[in-house]
Amino acid sequence: MGDQLKFVQLEMMVVALGLLVLIADLAMAPSRRRLLGYLSAAGLFVVFLLSFRDGYTALVNESTEAFFNSRYKVDGLALFFKRFFLIAGIFVLVFAVDFSERLRSGMAEYYSFIVFALSGMMFAASANDFSMLFVSIELITITFYILVSFQRHRLHSLEAGVKYLILGAVSSAFMIYGIALVFGVAGSLQFDDLHAQQSELIQSKVFLFGMLFLFAGLAFKISAFPFQVWAPDVYQGAPTPTTAFLAVGSKAAGFVLLIRLLVAAVPEVTAEWTSVLLVISALTILYGNLCALPQRNLKRLLAYSGIANAGYLLMGIVAQSEEGTVAILYYLAGYLFTVMAAFMIINLLTKEGEGEDISCLSGLSKRSPFLAFAMTLAAVSLAGIPPLAGFFGKFLLVKSVATEAFGNTCFFVLLAVAVFGVVVSIYYYFGIVRTIFWGRRKADEPTPPPVTIGLPVRIVLGCCVAAMLYLGLLPNKPVKWAETAAKVGVTSK
Amino acid sequence: MMEPTLSHYLLVSGALFSIGLLGVIVRRNLLIIYMSLELMLNSANVALVAMSRFYGKLDGQVMVFFIITVAAAEVAVGLALIVALYRKRQTAEVEDLATMKL
Repeated sequence: MGDQLKFVQLEMMVVALGLLVLIADLAMAPSRRRLLGYLSAAGLFVVFLLSFRDGYTALVNESTEAFFNSRYKVDGLALFFKRFFLIAGIFVLVFAVDFSERLRSGMAEYYSFIVFALSGMMFAASANDFSMLFVSIELITITFYILVSFQRHRLHSLEAGVKYLILGAVSSAFMIYGIALVFGVAGSLQFDDLHAQQSELIQSKVFLFGMLFLFAGLAFKISAFPFQVWAPDVYQGAPTPTTAFLAVGSKAAGFVLLIRLLVAAVPEVTAEWTSVLLVISALTILYGNLCALPQRNLKRLLAYSGIANAGYLLMGIVAQSEEGTVAILYYLAGYLFTVMAAFMIINLLTKEGEGEDISCLSGLSKRSPFLAFAMTLAAVSLAGIPPLAGFFGKFLLVKSVATEAFGNTCFFVLLAVAVFGVVVSIYYYFGIVRTIFWGRRKADEPTPPPVTIGLPVRIVLGCCVAAMLYLGLLPNKPVKWAETAAKVGVTSK
Repeated sequence: MMEPTLSHYLLVSGALFSIGLLGVIVRRNLLIIYMSLELMLNSANVALVAMSRFYGKLDGQVMVFFIITVAAAEVAVGLALIVALYRKRQTAEVEDLATMKL
Protein backbone atom coordinates (compact mmCIF):
# COMPACT_ATOMS: atom_id res chain seq x y z
CA MET A 1 0.00 0.00 0.00
CA GLY A 2 2.80 2.41 0.87
CA ASP A 3 4.15 1.88 -2.58
CA GLN A 4 0.80 2.77 -4.10
CA LEU A 5 0.60 6.14 -2.40
CA LYS A 6 2.83 7.40 -5.21
CA PHE A 7 -0.36 7.89 -7.21
CA VAL A 8 -1.49 10.61 -4.81
CA GLN A 9 1.90 12.13 -4.06
CA LEU A 10 1.09 15.55 -5.52
CA GLU A 11 -2.19 15.79 -3.63
CA MET A 12 -0.49 14.73 -0.39
CA MET A 13 2.09 17.46 -0.85
CA VAL A 14 -0.60 20.05 -1.46
CA VAL A 15 -2.62 19.02 1.61
CA ALA A 16 0.57 19.01 3.72
CA LEU A 17 1.34 22.51 2.45
CA GLY A 18 -2.10 23.72 3.52
CA LEU A 19 -1.62 22.28 7.02
CA LEU A 20 1.89 23.74 7.22
CA VAL A 21 0.55 27.20 6.45
CA LEU A 22 -1.96 26.86 9.29
CA ILE A 23 0.74 25.77 11.75
CA ALA A 24 3.32 28.32 10.60
CA ASP A 25 0.73 31.02 11.16
CA LEU A 26 0.95 30.39 14.92
CA ALA A 27 4.65 31.16 15.00
CA MET A 28 4.59 34.11 12.68
CA ALA A 29 4.41 37.76 13.60
CA PRO A 30 1.21 39.29 12.19
CA SER A 31 3.18 41.81 10.17
CA ARG A 32 4.95 39.05 8.28
CA ARG A 33 1.93 36.95 7.37
CA ARG A 34 2.06 38.14 3.76
CA LEU A 35 5.26 36.16 3.47
CA LEU A 36 3.23 33.05 4.20
CA GLY A 37 1.17 33.63 1.06
CA TYR A 38 4.26 33.96 -1.11
CA LEU A 39 5.80 30.91 0.54
CA SER A 40 2.74 28.79 -0.17
CA ALA A 41 2.69 30.03 -3.76
CA ALA A 42 6.36 29.03 -4.01
CA GLY A 43 5.50 25.66 -2.47
CA LEU A 44 2.81 25.09 -5.08
CA PHE A 45 5.30 26.06 -7.77
CA VAL A 46 7.65 23.35 -6.50
CA VAL A 47 4.77 20.84 -6.64
CA PHE A 48 4.05 22.04 -10.16
CA LEU A 49 7.67 21.40 -11.17
CA LEU A 50 7.58 17.99 -9.47
CA SER A 51 4.62 17.03 -11.64
CA PHE A 52 7.03 17.02 -14.60
CA ARG A 53 9.38 14.58 -12.89
CA ASP A 54 9.88 11.39 -14.91
CA GLY A 55 8.97 9.28 -11.92
CA TYR A 56 5.57 10.95 -11.79
CA THR A 57 4.76 11.21 -15.47
CA ALA A 58 5.62 7.52 -15.85
CA LEU A 59 2.58 6.76 -13.67
CA VAL A 60 0.39 7.71 -16.63
CA ASN A 61 1.36 4.50 -18.39
CA GLU A 62 1.14 2.45 -15.24
CA SER A 63 -2.19 0.83 -14.53
CA THR A 64 -3.92 2.14 -11.46
CA GLU A 65 -5.86 -1.10 -11.24
CA ALA A 66 -4.14 -1.95 -8.00
CA PHE A 67 -4.77 1.43 -6.45
CA PHE A 68 -8.25 1.61 -4.90
CA ASN A 69 -9.38 -0.83 -7.57
CA SER A 70 -8.95 1.84 -10.28
CA ARG A 71 -11.26 4.25 -8.54
CA TYR A 72 -8.53 6.82 -8.92
CA LYS A 73 -7.01 7.57 -12.28
CA VAL A 74 -3.68 9.10 -13.08
CA ASP A 75 -3.84 9.53 -16.84
CA GLY A 76 -3.10 12.27 -19.33
CA LEU A 77 -6.34 14.10 -18.57
CA ALA A 78 -5.71 14.02 -14.82
CA LEU A 79 -2.17 15.27 -15.31
CA PHE A 80 -3.31 18.14 -17.55
CA PHE A 81 -5.91 19.28 -15.05
CA LYS A 82 -3.65 18.88 -12.03
CA ARG A 83 -1.13 21.23 -13.65
CA PHE A 84 -3.93 23.55 -14.71
CA PHE A 85 -5.23 23.75 -11.13
CA LEU A 86 -1.72 24.22 -9.73
CA ILE A 87 -1.10 27.19 -12.02
CA ALA A 88 -4.48 28.63 -11.06
CA GLY A 89 -3.65 28.08 -7.37
CA ILE A 90 -0.30 29.86 -7.64
CA PHE A 91 -1.87 32.85 -9.39
CA VAL A 92 -4.73 33.04 -6.91
CA LEU A 93 -2.33 32.94 -3.95
CA VAL A 94 -0.24 35.80 -5.31
CA PHE A 95 -3.49 37.62 -5.95
CA ALA A 96 -4.69 36.86 -2.41
CA VAL A 97 -1.52 38.30 -0.85
CA ASP A 98 -2.15 41.49 -2.76
CA PHE A 99 -5.72 41.45 -1.45
CA SER A 100 -4.95 40.47 2.12
CA GLU A 101 -5.26 43.96 3.67
CA ARG A 102 -8.95 43.94 2.86
CA LEU A 103 -9.58 40.64 4.61
CA ARG A 104 -8.96 42.26 8.03
CA SER A 105 -8.57 38.92 9.80
CA GLY A 106 -7.54 35.36 9.13
CA MET A 107 -5.04 35.98 6.34
CA ALA A 108 -3.22 32.69 6.83
CA GLU A 109 -6.51 30.78 6.93
CA TYR A 110 -7.45 32.38 3.65
CA TYR A 111 -4.24 31.09 2.04
CA SER A 112 -4.64 27.63 3.49
CA PHE A 113 -8.27 27.37 2.37
CA ILE A 114 -7.18 28.24 -1.15
CA VAL A 115 -4.66 25.41 -0.93
CA PHE A 116 -7.29 22.98 0.40
CA ALA A 117 -9.75 23.89 -2.34
CA LEU A 118 -6.91 23.29 -4.79
CA SER A 119 -6.31 19.82 -3.35
CA GLY A 120 -10.02 19.07 -3.85
CA MET A 121 -9.73 20.09 -7.48
CA MET A 122 -6.67 17.90 -7.95
CA PHE A 123 -8.53 14.92 -6.48
CA ALA A 124 -11.46 15.69 -8.76
CA ALA A 125 -9.14 15.54 -11.77
CA SER A 126 -8.50 11.87 -11.02
CA ALA A 127 -11.93 10.80 -9.77
CA ASN A 128 -13.14 7.65 -11.45
CA ASP A 129 -15.79 6.64 -8.95
CA PHE A 130 -18.86 8.29 -7.50
CA SER A 131 -17.56 8.42 -3.94
CA MET A 132 -14.36 10.08 -5.15
CA LEU A 133 -16.42 12.46 -7.29
CA PHE A 134 -18.71 13.38 -4.41
CA VAL A 135 -16.01 13.87 -1.79
CA SER A 136 -13.74 15.93 -4.04
CA ILE A 137 -16.63 18.10 -5.25
CA GLU A 138 -17.71 18.72 -1.66
CA LEU A 139 -14.15 19.48 -0.59
CA ILE A 140 -14.14 22.19 -3.23
CA THR A 141 -17.63 23.48 -2.49
CA ILE A 142 -17.40 23.61 1.30
CA THR A 143 -14.07 25.44 1.23
CA PHE A 144 -15.61 27.84 -1.25
CA TYR A 145 -18.50 28.59 1.15
CA ILE A 146 -15.84 29.89 3.52
CA LEU A 147 -13.73 31.61 0.87
CA VAL A 148 -16.77 33.43 -0.56
CA SER A 149 -17.93 34.78 2.81
CA PHE A 150 -14.44 35.53 4.12
CA GLN A 151 -14.93 39.29 4.44
CA ARG A 152 -17.36 38.98 7.32
CA HIS A 153 -17.47 42.75 7.81
CA ARG A 154 -18.98 43.19 4.34
CA LEU A 155 -22.64 42.37 4.00
CA HIS A 156 -22.23 41.58 0.30
CA SER A 157 -19.67 38.92 1.03
CA LEU A 158 -21.86 37.25 3.65
CA GLU A 159 -24.91 37.43 1.45
CA ALA A 160 -23.01 35.88 -1.44
CA GLY A 161 -21.79 33.17 0.93
CA VAL A 162 -25.30 32.30 2.11
CA LYS A 163 -26.64 32.22 -1.44
CA TYR A 164 -23.81 29.96 -2.54
CA LEU A 165 -24.37 27.80 0.54
CA ILE A 166 -28.09 27.21 0.00
CA LEU A 167 -27.92 26.67 -3.75
CA GLY A 168 -24.72 24.64 -3.47
CA ALA A 169 -26.28 22.39 -0.87
CA VAL A 170 -29.39 21.89 -3.02
CA SER A 171 -27.21 20.92 -5.96
CA SER A 172 -25.19 18.45 -3.88
CA ALA A 173 -28.44 16.96 -2.55
CA PHE A 174 -29.53 16.41 -6.15
CA MET A 175 -26.16 14.96 -6.97
CA ILE A 176 -26.15 12.36 -4.21
CA TYR A 177 -29.74 11.41 -4.86
CA GLY A 178 -28.67 10.89 -8.45
CA ILE A 179 -25.76 8.78 -7.25
CA ALA A 180 -28.16 6.72 -5.13
CA LEU A 181 -30.44 6.10 -8.14
CA VAL A 182 -27.51 5.19 -10.39
CA PHE A 183 -26.18 2.85 -7.73
CA GLY A 184 -29.63 1.35 -7.40
CA VAL A 185 -29.71 0.39 -11.08
CA ALA A 186 -26.07 -0.37 -11.79
CA GLY A 187 -25.16 -1.89 -8.43
CA SER A 188 -21.79 -0.20 -8.53
CA LEU A 189 -20.28 3.18 -7.91
CA GLN A 190 -17.36 2.78 -10.30
CA PHE A 191 -17.27 4.54 -13.65
CA ASP A 192 -15.57 1.50 -15.20
CA ASP A 193 -18.51 -0.74 -14.26
CA LEU A 194 -20.97 1.78 -15.65
CA HIS A 195 -19.00 1.81 -18.88
CA ALA A 196 -19.06 -1.96 -19.14
CA GLN A 197 -22.86 -2.22 -18.81
CA GLN A 198 -23.93 1.09 -20.33
CA SER A 199 -26.00 -0.35 -23.17
CA GLU A 200 -28.25 -2.21 -20.70
CA LEU A 201 -28.31 0.66 -18.21
CA ILE A 202 -29.48 3.11 -20.81
CA GLN A 203 -32.74 1.14 -21.14
CA SER A 204 -33.58 2.00 -17.55
CA LYS A 205 -35.52 5.20 -16.99
CA VAL A 206 -34.42 5.29 -13.35
CA PHE A 207 -30.78 5.24 -14.42
CA LEU A 208 -31.31 8.12 -16.85
CA PHE A 209 -33.18 10.02 -14.14
CA GLY A 210 -30.26 9.51 -11.77
CA MET A 211 -27.81 10.68 -14.42
CA LEU A 212 -29.96 13.76 -14.96
CA PHE A 213 -29.75 14.58 -11.23
CA LEU A 214 -26.01 14.08 -11.34
CA PHE A 215 -25.75 16.33 -14.37
CA ALA A 216 -27.74 18.98 -12.50
CA GLY A 217 -25.19 18.88 -9.67
CA LEU A 218 -22.28 19.28 -12.07
CA ALA A 219 -24.07 21.90 -14.16
CA PHE A 220 -24.35 23.98 -11.00
CA LYS A 221 -20.56 23.89 -10.69
CA ILE A 222 -20.01 25.08 -14.24
CA SER A 223 -23.00 27.49 -14.03
CA ALA A 224 -24.84 26.12 -17.05
CA PHE A 225 -28.25 27.49 -17.94
CA PRO A 226 -31.01 26.43 -15.56
CA PHE A 227 -28.51 26.25 -12.68
CA GLN A 228 -26.73 29.56 -13.15
CA VAL A 229 -28.79 31.87 -10.90
CA TRP A 230 -26.17 31.96 -8.15
CA ALA A 231 -23.28 33.09 -10.34
CA PRO A 232 -23.79 36.87 -10.67
CA ASP A 233 -24.47 37.55 -6.98
CA VAL A 234 -21.73 35.24 -5.72
CA TYR A 235 -19.15 36.57 -8.17
CA GLN A 236 -20.01 40.13 -7.21
CA GLY A 237 -20.08 39.66 -3.46
CA ALA A 238 -17.11 37.36 -2.98
CA PRO A 239 -13.60 38.69 -2.34
CA THR A 240 -12.02 39.12 -5.77
CA PRO A 241 -9.34 36.37 -5.46
CA THR A 242 -12.13 33.95 -4.52
CA THR A 243 -14.14 35.08 -7.53
CA ALA A 244 -11.19 34.42 -9.81
CA PHE A 245 -10.64 30.97 -8.32
CA LEU A 246 -14.36 30.21 -8.53
CA ALA A 247 -14.46 31.29 -12.17
CA VAL A 248 -11.45 29.25 -13.19
CA GLY A 249 -10.89 26.38 -10.76
CA SER A 250 -14.41 25.43 -9.79
CA LYS A 251 -15.60 25.59 -13.38
CA ALA A 252 -12.71 23.48 -14.65
CA ALA A 253 -13.31 20.91 -11.90
CA GLY A 254 -16.91 20.63 -13.08
CA PHE A 255 -15.72 20.12 -16.64
CA VAL A 256 -13.13 17.47 -15.85
CA LEU A 257 -15.83 15.48 -14.05
CA LEU A 258 -18.26 15.99 -16.95
CA ILE A 259 -15.59 14.69 -19.33
CA ARG A 260 -14.91 11.69 -17.09
CA LEU A 261 -18.59 10.91 -16.76
CA LEU A 262 -20.25 11.88 -20.03
CA VAL A 263 -17.39 11.42 -22.48
CA ALA A 264 -15.38 8.57 -20.99
CA ALA A 265 -17.73 6.52 -18.80
CA VAL A 266 -21.17 6.61 -20.42
CA PRO A 267 -20.87 8.02 -23.97
CA GLU A 268 -24.12 6.26 -24.90
CA VAL A 269 -26.06 8.39 -22.43
CA THR A 270 -24.48 11.49 -23.95
CA ALA A 271 -25.51 10.31 -27.41
CA GLU A 272 -29.07 9.78 -26.13
CA TRP A 273 -29.07 13.28 -24.63
CA THR A 274 -27.49 15.12 -27.55
CA SER A 275 -30.52 17.34 -28.06
CA VAL A 276 -30.88 18.16 -24.34
CA LEU A 277 -27.21 19.09 -24.02
CA LEU A 278 -27.42 21.06 -27.23
CA VAL A 279 -30.36 23.12 -25.95
CA ILE A 280 -28.66 23.69 -22.58
CA SER A 281 -25.48 24.79 -24.32
CA ALA A 282 -27.33 27.18 -26.65
CA LEU A 283 -29.46 28.67 -23.85
CA THR A 284 -26.40 29.13 -21.64
CA ILE A 285 -24.62 31.04 -24.39
CA LEU A 286 -27.67 33.22 -25.06
CA TYR A 287 -28.47 33.87 -21.38
CA GLY A 288 -24.89 34.77 -20.46
CA ASN A 289 -24.30 37.09 -23.36
CA LEU A 290 -27.67 38.85 -23.34
CA CYS A 291 -27.67 39.45 -19.57
CA ALA A 292 -24.11 40.79 -19.71
CA LEU A 293 -25.19 43.61 -22.02
CA PRO A 294 -26.65 46.05 -19.45
CA GLN A 295 -24.11 45.33 -16.68
CA ARG A 296 -22.09 48.17 -15.21
CA ASN A 297 -20.48 46.20 -12.41
CA LEU A 298 -17.34 44.56 -13.77
CA LYS A 299 -17.41 41.48 -11.55
CA ARG A 300 -21.05 40.90 -12.44
CA LEU A 301 -20.24 41.39 -16.09
CA LEU A 302 -17.51 38.77 -15.88
CA ALA A 303 -19.95 36.46 -14.09
CA TYR A 304 -22.36 36.62 -17.02
CA SER A 305 -19.47 36.25 -19.43
CA GLY A 306 -18.44 33.19 -17.38
CA ILE A 307 -21.92 31.73 -17.86
CA ALA A 308 -21.66 32.32 -21.61
CA ASN A 309 -18.24 30.66 -21.62
CA ALA A 310 -19.67 27.62 -19.86
CA GLY A 311 -22.09 27.40 -22.78
CA TYR A 312 -19.24 27.49 -25.30
CA LEU A 313 -17.37 24.84 -23.33
CA LEU A 314 -20.46 22.60 -23.30
CA MET A 315 -20.28 22.62 -27.10
CA GLY A 316 -17.21 20.43 -26.73
CA ILE A 317 -19.26 17.89 -24.75
CA VAL A 318 -22.10 18.08 -27.28
CA ALA A 319 -19.64 17.25 -30.08
CA GLN A 320 -18.92 13.91 -28.35
CA SER A 321 -15.58 13.49 -30.01
CA GLU A 322 -11.96 13.58 -28.99
CA GLU A 323 -11.72 16.80 -30.95
CA GLY A 324 -14.38 18.27 -28.68
CA THR A 325 -12.45 17.30 -25.56
CA VAL A 326 -9.26 18.80 -27.00
CA ALA A 327 -11.16 22.02 -27.65
CA ILE A 328 -12.48 22.11 -24.07
CA LEU A 329 -8.99 21.70 -22.65
CA TYR A 330 -7.55 24.35 -24.94
CA TYR A 331 -10.34 26.81 -24.23
CA LEU A 332 -10.06 26.30 -20.48
CA ALA A 333 -6.30 26.96 -20.62
CA GLY A 334 -6.90 30.23 -22.45
CA TYR A 335 -9.75 31.11 -20.09
CA LEU A 336 -7.52 30.61 -17.04
CA PHE A 337 -5.01 33.27 -18.08
CA THR A 338 -7.57 35.67 -19.49
CA VAL A 339 -9.94 35.70 -16.52
CA MET A 340 -7.16 35.75 -13.96
CA ALA A 341 -5.64 38.83 -15.60
CA ALA A 342 -9.03 40.56 -15.81
CA PHE A 343 -9.90 40.01 -12.14
CA MET A 344 -6.45 41.08 -10.97
CA ILE A 345 -6.69 44.33 -12.87
CA ILE A 346 -10.20 45.02 -11.57
CA ASN A 347 -8.88 44.43 -8.07
CA LEU A 348 -5.96 46.84 -8.54
CA LEU A 349 -8.28 49.58 -9.69
CA THR A 350 -11.00 49.39 -7.06
CA LYS A 351 -10.70 50.31 -3.44
CA GLU A 352 -12.44 48.70 -0.52
CA GLY A 353 -16.06 49.71 -0.26
CA GLU A 354 -16.34 51.10 -3.76
CA GLY A 355 -18.34 49.22 -6.29
CA GLU A 356 -16.53 47.64 -9.19
CA ASP A 357 -18.21 50.02 -11.58
CA ILE A 358 -16.96 50.00 -15.15
CA SER A 359 -16.07 53.70 -14.82
CA CYS A 360 -13.08 52.75 -12.65
CA LEU A 361 -11.39 51.77 -15.89
CA SER A 362 -11.69 55.20 -17.47
CA GLY A 363 -8.41 56.91 -18.17
CA LEU A 364 -6.53 53.68 -17.46
CA SER A 365 -4.48 54.11 -20.62
CA LYS A 366 -2.94 57.24 -19.05
CA ARG A 367 -2.68 55.92 -15.50
CA SER A 368 -0.98 52.69 -16.37
CA PRO A 369 -0.31 51.74 -19.99
CA PHE A 370 0.69 48.20 -18.96
CA LEU A 371 -2.61 47.51 -17.16
CA ALA A 372 -4.53 49.09 -20.04
CA PHE A 373 -2.70 46.82 -22.47
CA ALA A 374 -3.30 43.69 -20.36
CA MET A 375 -6.99 44.46 -19.77
CA THR A 376 -7.52 45.17 -23.45
CA LEU A 377 -5.90 41.87 -24.34
CA ALA A 378 -8.12 40.08 -21.81
CA ALA A 379 -11.30 41.69 -23.15
CA VAL A 380 -10.32 41.03 -26.75
CA SER A 381 -9.41 37.44 -25.95
CA LEU A 382 -12.71 36.85 -24.15
CA ALA A 383 -14.54 38.32 -27.13
CA GLY A 384 -12.77 35.82 -29.36
CA ILE A 385 -10.92 38.13 -31.71
CA PRO A 386 -7.84 36.68 -33.42
CA PRO A 387 -4.96 36.34 -32.72
CA LEU A 388 -5.56 35.66 -29.01
CA ALA A 389 -6.14 32.56 -26.92
CA GLY A 390 -9.91 33.03 -26.76
CA PHE A 391 -10.22 33.08 -30.53
CA PHE A 392 -8.39 29.85 -31.11
CA GLY A 393 -10.27 28.09 -28.32
CA LYS A 394 -13.64 29.16 -29.73
CA PHE A 395 -12.45 28.19 -33.19
CA LEU A 396 -11.62 24.66 -32.01
CA LEU A 397 -14.97 24.32 -30.22
CA VAL A 398 -16.94 25.50 -33.24
CA LYS A 399 -14.88 23.23 -35.49
CA SER A 400 -15.51 20.21 -33.30
CA VAL A 401 -19.27 20.80 -33.48
CA ALA A 402 -19.16 21.62 -37.20
CA THR A 403 -17.43 18.35 -38.11
CA GLU A 404 -20.27 16.45 -36.43
CA ALA A 405 -22.93 18.71 -37.88
CA PHE A 406 -23.39 16.80 -41.13
CA GLY A 407 -24.89 13.92 -39.23
CA ASN A 408 -27.29 16.10 -37.29
CA THR A 409 -28.77 19.32 -38.63
CA CYS A 410 -29.67 20.58 -35.12
CA PHE A 411 -25.96 21.23 -34.67
CA PHE A 412 -26.18 24.04 -37.19
CA VAL A 413 -28.62 25.82 -34.87
CA LEU A 414 -26.06 25.57 -32.07
CA LEU A 415 -23.37 26.96 -34.39
CA ALA A 416 -25.63 29.86 -35.33
CA VAL A 417 -26.32 30.60 -31.65
CA ALA A 418 -22.60 30.45 -30.85
CA VAL A 419 -21.74 32.92 -33.60
CA PHE A 420 -24.61 35.20 -32.56
CA GLY A 421 -23.31 35.03 -28.96
CA VAL A 422 -19.83 36.04 -30.07
CA VAL A 423 -21.22 39.02 -31.97
CA VAL A 424 -23.27 40.15 -28.95
CA SER A 425 -20.31 39.68 -26.64
CA ILE A 426 -18.11 41.91 -28.81
CA TYR A 427 -20.44 44.77 -27.90
CA TYR A 428 -19.93 44.58 -24.15
CA TYR A 429 -16.26 43.59 -24.23
CA PHE A 430 -15.61 46.59 -26.41
CA GLY A 431 -17.47 48.69 -23.89
CA ILE A 432 -14.59 47.81 -21.56
CA VAL A 433 -11.96 48.68 -24.16
CA ARG A 434 -13.73 51.95 -24.95
CA THR A 435 -13.78 52.96 -21.29
CA ILE A 436 -10.08 52.20 -20.94
CA PHE A 437 -9.02 54.42 -23.82
CA TRP A 438 -11.78 56.97 -24.29
CA GLY A 439 -13.68 56.96 -21.01
CA ARG A 440 -14.03 60.39 -19.41
CA ARG A 441 -14.03 61.12 -15.72
CA LYS A 442 -16.41 63.71 -14.33
CA ALA A 443 -14.99 67.23 -14.59
CA ASP A 444 -14.83 67.90 -10.84
CA GLU A 445 -13.04 64.64 -10.09
CA PRO A 446 -9.29 64.86 -9.51
CA THR A 447 -7.12 62.81 -11.85
CA PRO A 448 -6.23 59.62 -10.00
CA PRO A 449 -2.53 58.88 -9.50
CA PRO A 450 -0.72 56.21 -11.51
CA VAL A 451 -1.42 52.70 -10.25
CA THR A 452 1.29 51.04 -8.23
CA ILE A 453 1.72 47.34 -8.88
CA GLY A 454 3.80 45.04 -6.72
CA LEU A 455 6.43 42.90 -8.39
CA PRO A 456 4.72 39.48 -7.83
CA VAL A 457 1.46 40.75 -9.31
CA ARG A 458 3.41 42.25 -12.19
CA ILE A 459 5.05 38.87 -12.84
CA VAL A 460 1.71 37.03 -12.77
CA LEU A 461 0.11 39.58 -15.10
CA GLY A 462 3.13 39.29 -17.41
CA CYS A 463 2.70 35.50 -17.45
CA CYS A 464 -1.00 35.87 -18.26
CA VAL A 465 -0.33 38.27 -21.13
CA ALA A 466 2.45 36.05 -22.49
CA ALA A 467 0.23 32.96 -22.26
CA MET A 468 -2.71 34.69 -23.98
CA LEU A 469 -0.45 35.67 -26.87
CA TYR A 470 1.34 32.31 -26.97
CA LEU A 471 -1.87 30.25 -27.00
CA GLY A 472 -3.29 32.46 -29.71
CA LEU A 473 -0.26 32.88 -31.97
CA LEU A 474 1.54 29.54 -31.67
CA PRO A 475 -1.24 27.04 -31.01
CA ASN A 476 0.53 23.98 -32.45
CA LYS A 477 2.34 22.85 -29.34
CA PRO A 478 -0.45 23.49 -26.81
CA VAL A 479 -2.90 21.67 -29.09
CA LYS A 480 -0.52 18.67 -29.05
CA TRP A 481 -0.52 18.77 -25.23
CA ALA A 482 -4.30 18.91 -25.20
CA GLU A 483 -4.45 16.02 -27.66
CA THR A 484 -2.31 13.78 -25.49
CA ALA A 485 -4.43 14.74 -22.50
CA ALA A 486 -7.74 14.17 -24.26
CA LYS A 487 -7.18 10.48 -24.89
CA VAL A 488 -9.47 9.40 -22.08
CA GLY A 489 -10.52 5.85 -21.93
CA VAL A 490 -11.92 3.50 -19.41
CA THR A 491 -9.92 0.48 -18.30
CA SER A 492 -11.87 -2.40 -19.71
CA LYS A 493 -12.49 -5.33 -17.49
CA MET B 1 -47.60 -8.35 9.23
CA MET B 2 -46.03 -7.36 5.92
CA GLU B 3 -42.26 -7.41 5.50
CA PRO B 4 -40.95 -4.06 4.22
CA THR B 5 -39.36 -4.50 0.80
CA LEU B 6 -36.91 -2.40 -1.19
CA SER B 7 -39.68 -0.42 -2.82
CA HIS B 8 -41.04 0.66 0.56
CA TYR B 9 -37.68 2.08 1.53
CA LEU B 10 -37.37 3.80 -1.82
CA LEU B 11 -40.83 5.31 -1.42
CA VAL B 12 -39.85 6.71 1.97
CA SER B 13 -36.65 8.08 0.54
CA GLY B 14 -38.48 9.65 -2.40
CA ALA B 15 -41.01 11.21 -0.04
CA LEU B 16 -38.25 12.60 2.19
CA PHE B 17 -36.49 14.09 -0.83
CA SER B 18 -39.68 15.73 -2.07
CA ILE B 19 -40.58 17.10 1.36
CA GLY B 20 -37.07 18.51 1.67
CA LEU B 21 -37.16 20.09 -1.76
CA LEU B 22 -40.60 21.54 -1.07
CA GLY B 23 -39.30 22.98 2.19
CA VAL B 24 -36.36 24.62 0.43
CA ILE B 25 -38.67 26.19 -2.12
CA VAL B 26 -41.55 27.21 0.12
CA ARG B 27 -40.05 28.22 3.47
CA ARG B 28 -38.58 31.69 3.89
CA ASN B 29 -36.44 31.20 6.98
CA LEU B 30 -32.80 30.29 6.36
CA LEU B 31 -32.61 27.86 9.25
CA ILE B 32 -35.70 25.96 8.15
CA ILE B 33 -34.38 25.89 4.59
CA TYR B 34 -31.17 24.46 5.95
CA MET B 35 -33.09 21.80 7.88
CA SER B 36 -34.94 20.84 4.72
CA LEU B 37 -31.61 20.51 2.94
CA GLU B 38 -30.44 18.04 5.54
CA LEU B 39 -33.63 16.09 4.93
CA MET B 40 -32.76 15.92 1.23
CA LEU B 41 -29.26 14.63 1.99
CA ASN B 42 -30.64 11.99 4.36
CA SER B 43 -33.21 10.79 1.85
CA ALA B 44 -30.32 9.76 -0.38
CA ASN B 45 -28.76 7.96 2.58
CA VAL B 46 -31.92 5.91 3.11
CA ALA B 47 -31.99 4.97 -0.56
CA LEU B 48 -28.30 4.04 -0.61
CA VAL B 49 -28.50 1.87 2.49
CA ALA B 50 -31.65 0.12 1.27
CA MET B 51 -30.14 -0.63 -2.12
CA SER B 52 -26.84 -1.66 -0.68
CA ARG B 53 -28.69 -4.19 1.50
CA PHE B 54 -30.74 -5.32 -1.50
CA TYR B 55 -27.62 -5.97 -3.58
CA GLY B 56 -25.60 -7.34 -0.69
CA LYS B 57 -22.85 -4.90 -1.68
CA LEU B 58 -21.24 -2.63 0.86
CA ASP B 59 -20.36 0.18 -1.58
CA GLY B 60 -23.58 2.03 -0.87
CA GLN B 61 -23.16 1.91 2.89
CA VAL B 62 -19.59 3.18 2.64
CA MET B 63 -20.89 6.02 0.50
CA VAL B 64 -23.36 6.85 3.27
CA PHE B 65 -20.48 7.32 5.70
CA PHE B 66 -18.90 9.78 3.31
CA ILE B 67 -22.19 11.62 2.92
CA ILE B 68 -22.77 11.86 6.68
CA THR B 69 -19.25 13.19 7.22
CA VAL B 70 -19.52 15.72 4.43
CA ALA B 71 -22.98 16.79 5.64
CA ALA B 72 -21.56 17.38 9.13
CA ALA B 73 -18.84 19.61 7.68
CA GLU B 74 -21.43 21.40 5.59
CA VAL B 75 -23.64 22.03 8.63
CA ALA B 76 -20.71 23.37 10.64
CA VAL B 77 -19.80 25.85 7.92
CA GLY B 78 -23.38 26.66 7.01
CA LEU B 79 -24.62 27.42 10.50
CA ALA B 80 -21.57 29.58 11.19
CA LEU B 81 -22.34 31.50 8.04
CA ILE B 82 -26.01 31.96 8.90
CA VAL B 83 -25.08 33.13 12.41
CA ALA B 84 -22.56 35.62 10.97
CA LEU B 85 -25.25 36.94 8.65
CA TYR B 86 -27.75 37.16 11.52
CA ARG B 87 -25.30 39.21 13.58
CA LYS B 88 -24.90 41.64 10.72
CA ARG B 89 -28.54 41.98 9.69
CA GLN B 90 -30.58 40.74 12.67
CA THR B 91 -32.63 38.66 10.28
CA ALA B 92 -32.63 35.19 8.82
CA GLU B 93 -35.30 35.67 6.18
CA VAL B 94 -34.40 35.12 2.55
CA GLU B 95 -36.28 38.25 1.44
CA ASP B 96 -33.64 40.36 3.14
CA LEU B 97 -30.91 38.86 1.00
CA ALA B 98 -31.31 41.14 -1.98
CA THR B 99 -28.81 43.93 -1.58
CA MET B 100 -26.95 43.10 -4.77
CA LYS B 101 -29.05 44.01 -7.75
CA LEU B 102 -27.58 45.25 -10.97
